[in-house]
Amino acid sequence: MELIRYFKIKKMKNIFLLSLMSAFLFTSCNKENGIPVDPITGEPTPTTEYKLLKKDTTDNDLIVELYSKTETIEMGYIPLYLKIRDISGSAVENALVLFMPMMDMGMMQHSSPVEQPVFNSDSDYYEGMVVFTMASSMGSWNLTVNVNGEDASFTINVLENPTGTKYVGSYNGTDGEKYIVSIVRPFEWSVGMNDVSIMVHKNQSMMSFPAVSDLIIAMDPQMTSMGHGSPNNVSPVSVGNGYYDGQVNYTMTGDWRLNLDLIKAGDTIVNSYIDILF
Amino acid sequence: MDSKKEYMAGFIKIDEMKKIIVLGSSLLLCGSIFSQEDTLRSPQNYKEIIIQGQEKGSKEKASAQLQQSPDKLLSTIPGITLIKRGNYALEPTIRGLSAAQINTTIDGMQMFGACTDRMDPISAYIEPTNLEKIELSTSPNGNQQGSAIGGGINFALMKAQLNASKKFSGSAGAGYQSNANNIQFLGTFQYSTKRWAVLVNGIYRKADNYYAADRKEILFSQFEKWNAGANLIVALNDNNRISLDYIHDEGYAIGYPALTMDVAFAKAYISALTHTYKNKTRKLRSVETKVYFNFINHAMDDTKRPAEMVPMHMDMPGTSRTFGMFSKAKYVLNAKHVLNFQLNAFQNDLHAEMTMYPDFGSEMFMLTIPDGMRRTFGLNASDKWIVNRKLKISYGGRVEFNQSDITTEIGRQTLTSFYNGDGAQSRMSGNVFIQTEYAISNKIGVFGGVSYAQRPPSIQELYGFYLFNRVDNHDYLGSPDIKNEESISGNIGVNLKSEKFAISLEAFANSFNNYIIGVLLSDYSNMTIGAEGVKQFDNISNAFQTGGEMTVKWSPIKALTVQSVNSYTYGIDDLGGYLPYIPPFKSINSVRYYHKGWNVKLEHVGAFAQNNVSTARYGEGTTPAFNLLNFAVQKQIDLKNDRALYAEFGVENIFDAPYYEHLDVMKIQRQGVNFVLRTTFVF
Repeated sequence: MELIRYFKIKKMKNIFLLSLMSAFLFTSCNKENGIPVDPITGEPTPTTEYKLLKKDTTDNDLIVELYSKTETIEMGYIPLYLKIRDISGSAVENALVLFMPMMDMGMMQHSSPVEQPVFNSDSDYYEGMVVFTMASSMGSWNLTVNVNGEDASFTINVLENPTGTKYVGSYNGTDGEKYIVSIVRPFEWSVGMNDVSIMVHKNQSMMSFPAVSDLIIAMDPQMTSMGHGSPNNVSPVSVGNGYYDGQVNYTMTGDWRLNLDLIKAGDTIVNSYIDILF
Repeated sequence: MDSKKEYMAGFIKIDEMKKIIVLGSSLLLCGSIFSQEDTLRSPQNYKEIIIQGQEKGSKEKASAQLQQSPDKLLSTIPGITLIKRGNYALEPTIRGLSAAQINTTIDGMQMFGACTDRMDPISAYIEPTNLEKIELSTSPNGNQQGSAIGGGINFALMKAQLNASKKFSGSAGAGYQSNANNIQFLGTFQYSTKRWAVLVNGIYRKADNYYAADRKEILFSQFEKWNAGANLIVALNDNNRISLDYIHDEGYAIGYPALTMDVAFAKAYISALTHTYKNKTRKLRSVETKVYFNFINHAMDDTKRPAEMVPMHMDMPGTSRTFGMFSKAKYVLNAKHVLNFQLNAFQNDLHAEMTMYPDFGSEMFMLTIPDGMRRTFGLNASDKWIVNRKLKISYGGRVEFNQSDITTEIGRQTLTSFYNGDGAQSRMSGNVFIQTEYAISNKIGVFGGVSYAQRPPSIQELYGFYLFNRVDNHDYLGSPDIKNEESISGNIGVNLKSEKFAISLEAFANSFNNYIIGVLLSDYSNMTIGAEGVKQFDNISNAFQTGGEMTVKWSPIKALTVQSVNSYTYGIDDLGGYLPYIPPFKSINSVRYYHKGWNVKLEHVGAFAQNNVSTARYGEGTTPAFNLLNFAVQKQIDLKNDRALYAEFGVENIFDAPYYEHLDVMKIQRQGVNFVLRTTFVF
């Protein structure tokens, strides 16, 4: 019953989101200078799809706004979005933008895997991604956004994944390399077959995390508390740029562990896993 | 009889045959020694058990039958064998066919159990107090309400009687059985006028754990239930009647020792509105139209089991909802042809879910029947052709259209786990049949027939999701692509009847195509903790069954009746291995003596061993032979004003023999010695 209610609520949520989106479409008709306007107040309404996390101004007076899909940032693969405006308030498109995340652990500092932001003219956002490999409890995360040579800086509070979940992991491969395996957001799980996407990076140095696209992944989802798996899974296969797409079959809700064996030249070099709860 | 032996000999292994010959010849011997001229009691019809009603002399019988459990009543019908999972709700099989292969109805109404572990065959939701009779058909026929390849069982509901001889009438009874400390109370009450009549009935039954031989307690075999029924009949005029039925059945804390879970509650609500038209002078003799609705709410429970028996606590509720209608017409074309037509439609919705609570980690939820729906429309037509005084032929058929679908989003998502495609589908199925009866003389009649039938797979067979089968210890998946099961069957028989002696012999053979069984999916991992693997419902190319029944009734003197009921079934699959759920040769033999209201009955129940099993494929083990002796004394005291007091004392399994039957799940022993006390007051 509890779950049915949950699904009903979810459905309601979806309807709610849909109405929100249609409101957005409506407002987007009224937008001037590329800024959507609230039809009632006439104020700009930037936070329609993405949540504004932080704002910073660079030395050359560019206003950089950092957005994400959620109000908080968790460990793992996080898509991040940017809006950049000049002092007059007009949007700066097609600037050269670079992410440089940095974890300061006191004794040492390291970066993490990123995908550099690219301007998307459909959404009017710069879209990029950072894999946060640890939580801010281990130190402090700082994300530097370099726009046309000038920096904006954001302190990011990265939360642990919720109890029972693990969306990113670092592993020492048997080939002597270090690998970072993360599950690609967004994911919204349902019972049955789900598309799943995995990303693999190599930890080459403290500052260099190239994507790895030449592995074979063997995926075996397991319900850990019952000791059974599920049939008909499709192990993720490389689609380039470090992404691996497959299908996962959740026969029920609960705690699932996706066991992901990374295979290179026929040898299993890493036994990694991602923990899911829904 | 010899012809039967010869007929069967081709299919039966030598040792089996020997046993049958020995038994058959001993029965023949009995027959030849004792056949003397005397009057035989009312003609036997073993395809029907009358429980209560207006038949002559039924009061005495009713008093005894009303106190029986439906399981006990079913077990005495030749051709019916019961699958036992506990001391409650035994599941009937007909000649080795069960579940969706047979068509089980209540007063013609379709109803489907809600439990995914087959804990609740619909016979669990009715009681003898509700019933007028139990009707068995062993092959596809014109009365059928749904597609089945193996005939069916109909539980005909007791109706209030208009213009009864007494305005108020009824019965009240109580019973006690020592073995499981089983108590029961029942009552029926009827108020009858010329224009309308009402009947109400109720029963309460409760039992503790039962004891097998040597006082071995069978844990988790208790049950408690009550059932209440009501019927109202209103005569609109001489030809038209309206009838309203309602049955409410609730069971609580029902133990299933053969399964890993028990039942917290099982509730059924059965309702029907019927209009009947009858006119004995018109060609359109009768029309019966019924609209019905029933709902089952069933919850499995493991909280009463000790922690070491429960690897993980689970809740497994399920519901089944059916609404439907049928309309039957009887049309007398002329003196030689009686036509029967039937139109029926129903929809069944099944939902079964499971929530698991691990010691560590989050709770898990899944649908085991992902909200499956089945809609059926059927049309039957048959003709009873009275060719001449000796020859009668009935023939006909049924066409049926089925639609199946999954009705919820989470159900459709669940289906993606094991099926790539849309679960919605429609199918055609049906049957054609011909049965002939030929009276060679007043004493000898022969009969025989052939039929072809198809049945669609059940909702479980289409959409079931990790349904656990305790017999072969596998989880089962449904298969939306499964084909209809088909059968070509033939039966042949002879009835011999004299003043004192009656024998009825019937043999059948059933050849199946696309027989549905579970086929192992070797690379799947089981969901149920402790299961051995996963199977999927699938068709095997063919299967074959044969067997027969023989009933003998002999009354050397008026006060004495000797009766013997024997059934045998043999079945092989596509690989020549033995089919599962096939009962071995079983024999129920009784001697009854009536004298001045006293009725003494000695009964022997026995079965041969069943060694025809395919353990590797179906998980069944062999079952040893058993023999039991039961004894009962019944006394009927007639009182003033057509009242009567009836009392019964009996001992079941007198010698406390340890035994179980072949279809008993997990080979859990049946009841040891049991003392029975019953009394009924009829007014």
